[in-house]
Amino acid sequence: MSFCLDTYLQQSDDYEILTANAGFKDCAMIIRFKADEVVNVKPGESVLGVRIIGIPPIPIGINEDKGTILFPYTKPCHGTSVIELPIDKDEIDALKKLAIED
Amino acid sequence: MIMKNALILLGCPESPSQTPMAIYASYKLNNLGYDVTIASNPAASKLIKISDPENNYINKIIDLDRCLNTLEEGQYDLLLGFVHKDAAASFFVTFDQILNTKSIALVFEKDEKLIDEYVEMVKSSTNAEILAVKAFHNPNPIKIKLDKALENI
Repeated sequence: MSFCLDTYLQQSDDYEILTANAGFKDCAMIIRFKADEVVNVKPGESVLGVRIIGIPPIPIGINEDKGTILFPYTKPCHGTSVIELPIDKDEIDALKKLAIED
Repeated sequence: MIMKNALILLGCPESPSQTPMAIYASYKLNNLGYDVTIASNPAASKLIKISDPENNYINKIIDLDRCLNTLEEGQYDLLLGFVHKDAAASFFVTFDQILNTKSIALVFEKDEKLIDEYVEMVKSSTNAEILAVKAFHNPNPIKIKLDKALENI
């Protein structure tokens, strides 16, 4: 079964919402500011089974020490949020392969 | 004749002009020979379905998340997106980049600064034809822009 972020957010408590109901640009800035490392990806790339929505280059933050990533999550009526989720090391490696030039 | 496919991408239904313009755009594109699909969230879908109970103008409605998850390059010949919020601009750019097809962004808002902002978001990342107009309750300014654009399609 594929990963469903909405379900995950409803049923887990190991994530953090760094900002909610914001604009994409503000969320991108927060990710660049809060993450130790940033990988830029194209819109529509699949990260943790979720297609990333936004204006390119879309920053995905990596906090390798904490084992988390930070990414923008957009809903039509609620704007964009920044979510920090735990992630496995091999998923971080897969994410780095999606990197595009800034 | 092979029928062309068009995808109408809706945003948050908070803007009163969205539902009538979505039905109107579907009607116009049907007349131009497009097989039209509307992608929207559940709230926007309900407004469309109630407004066209016998499916006179709307053929297919697909859930926005499901549409995005299965979207592929070239799946549609035309993308028509309603861009009246920051999130709608993000969705439009994402759909445009995945589909890599002809696209039209209908940018409308009552605040001109926001219109400029959304236009810039779309312009910076796509080759979409941008139809930008100040509108909120009255859909006529949007309709006029769309009619002109569809004359040249």
